[in-house]
Amino acid sequence: MLTDREVLSTLAMLRNEHLDVRTVTLGVSLFDCASDNFDTFADKVRAKIGKYAEKLVATCDEVGDKYGIPVVNKRISVSPMGVVCASFTSDQMVKACKVLDDAAKAAGVNFLGGFGALVEKGMTRGDRALIDSLPEALAVTDCVCSSINVASSRSGINMDAVALMGETIKSIANRTADRGGLGCAKLVVFANIPQDVPFMAGAYLGVGEPEVVINVGVSGPGVVKKAIDRAMERNPNRTLSDIAEVIKRTAFKVTRVGEIIGTEVAARLGLPFGVADLSLAPTPEVGDSVGEIFQSMGLSSIGAPGSTAVLAMLNDAVKKGGAFASSHVGGLSGAFIPVSEDSSIAAAAACGALTLEKLEAMTSVCSVGLDMVAIPGDTSAATISAIIADEMAIGMINSKTTAVRIIPVPGKGVGELVSFGGLLGEARIMPVPGGNAENFIRLGGRIPAPIHSLKN
Amino acid sequence: MYKVVVSFLGRDCPGIVHAVSSLMNELDCNIDEVSQTILHSEFAAIVIADVPDALQIDTLHAKLEAGLEQRKVDLNVTARLFDGSGWGDTIATEPYVVTVDGPDRPGLIAGVTGVFSRHNVNIENLKALMPGGKDDGNALIVYEVAVPLTKDIADLRAELREEADKLAVRVSMQHRDIFEAVHRVQPV
Repeated sequence: MLTDREVLSTLAMLRNEHLDVRTVTLGVSLFDCASDNFDTFADKVRAKIGKYAEKLVATCDEVGDKYGIPVVNKRISVSPMGVVCASFTSDQMVKACKVLDDAAKAAGVNFLGGFGALVEKGMTRGDRALIDSLPEALAVTDCVCSSINVASSRSGINMDAVALMGETIKSIANRTADRGGLGCAKLVVFANIPQDVPFMAGAYLGVGEPEVVINVGVSGPGVVKKAIDRAMERNPNRTLSDIAEVIKRTAFKVTRVGEIIGTEVAARLGLPFGVADLSLAPTPEVGDSVGEIFQSMGLSSIGAPGSTAVLAMLNDAVKKGGAFASSHVGGLSGAFIPVSEDSSIAAAAACGALTLEKLEAMTSVCSVGLDMVAIPGDTSAATISAIIADEMAIGMINSKTTAVRIIPVPGKGVGELVSFGGLLGEARIMPVPGGNAENFIRLGGRIPAPIHSLKN
Repeated sequence: MYKVVVSFLGRDCPGIVHAVSSLMNELDCNIDEVSQTILHSEFAAIVIADVPDALQIDTLHAKLEAGLEQRKVDLNVTARLFDGSGWGDTIATEPYVVTVDGPDRPGLIAGVTGVFSRHNVNIENLKALMPGGKDDGNALIVYEVAVPLTKDIADLRAELREEADKLAVRVSMQHRDIFEAVHRVQPV
């Protein structure tokens, strides 16, 4: 027999606390679709994605229905196209991106990740062709996302790539100026990219992954927040030790949902289950916010002094609880702080309570990085590259994943509003710290791998 | 020996189960299985027992009633032959949990269980609570049900929703596994 508490608690999580499975992502390896003939490549890609994705959406909905917990997004991740399409020109890369876009739409998914490259130590011709194609490719497609890995703890930081990405981000923004620079919201620059992330825009299926796999991304910042609020209310003498325990147990429950649904979707599709990514991923909806957790923990808002400590605790407690809940944990697995995708974080940024500097500090303890940050359209490419370099350094030295998804909004300045729509949300443009990094970025080359990379 | 199912219903107090079991022991009956429950001041138990062939079921019933009265235990007794097969043994089912919550009113249980009955869904556990306390006026009814595998879940769900709308309450239906998966660490 189920206890009252079990029933009431599960109902509350579903009804008021926005518990859901944020994404089920089908990973499909496209390495065997590589060809120097574009049409051969295109046919193979369409056929392969079509074959495996055919029942994805319907199966997710059936399983979601069975357990009464919605699978909000169904997505696809593919092998890094910089490798698959290594022999293509930039123009062919654009066409390849369209093939992926069409395949995603045919499958009924809302995003497809993997149009990216791994260039942490150097760039191949294919990688360069892909990066050069990004402004056009991301402008003419809707669903395709890109991730470019420019640094790793083992290889150091490829500063030539960092310089190039600063320029590329500006070009992408200008090419999609009519949509607020939306193209940049589909591109992430990474250090230490995990190769099984189910979330967008960073999802891709790495080398060493199987032919096909199902990865699941859970979520539930609202559930965590409500649990903290209840704990505080019941006992005003709660300490941080107690709160950490509350977060841990709640993360366990949230991850169990993802595990049971992910493994069942995988079983029904006859595919292997990969990982559960137990990240707290917010949406712009009220009550589905990571930022609000900071307030539950006693800060006036995210961005106030104490934010880094709070986030460190939150991120760690989520990992501890989630790790026990899942057979295989992977992806990013922590707390996301995407500015435009979280109404509370966006509000804090808009009123100046949260600055870019504080965000950067917080990225040293959270699971992603500077995410969905809107900056003035006239920010120079070098400054953007320097911001990226800072994030990459944090990731490289601390052996963690960091990333930058930054949007220089053409024609807009500090304080102005940009709206990307849907899950991407809206935000006010944040000021960028002053100073000039042109000469530093112009140096190029590689920042060597840190001493702790010598692990042998 | 043959099997009987005996049910006991009455006022709860310490000593009832001892009274019942020692009585049955005196009658050379062997208790196979027991299920008992308490609601406020009332006690109910279902006992499946092996009874000697020589003891007729009517006699068993009379002796149980007399014996309990003698021990000052106030229970109603009914006894029947037990053939061993239950509804759930012949048909494959999946366990679901249906919850109904909203302002309490007459007809909540009758309405929802009508849907179950029409769909050949069997209720295995039922609990009705007032989670906000008696003054709150809101009821929560939890049905743990067995749904035949052949059932179209979408149909059942749609009818439950329709019934809930008529009764001005909310209904939700989820596979039982999710409750256990989320709240329990299962033994290995």
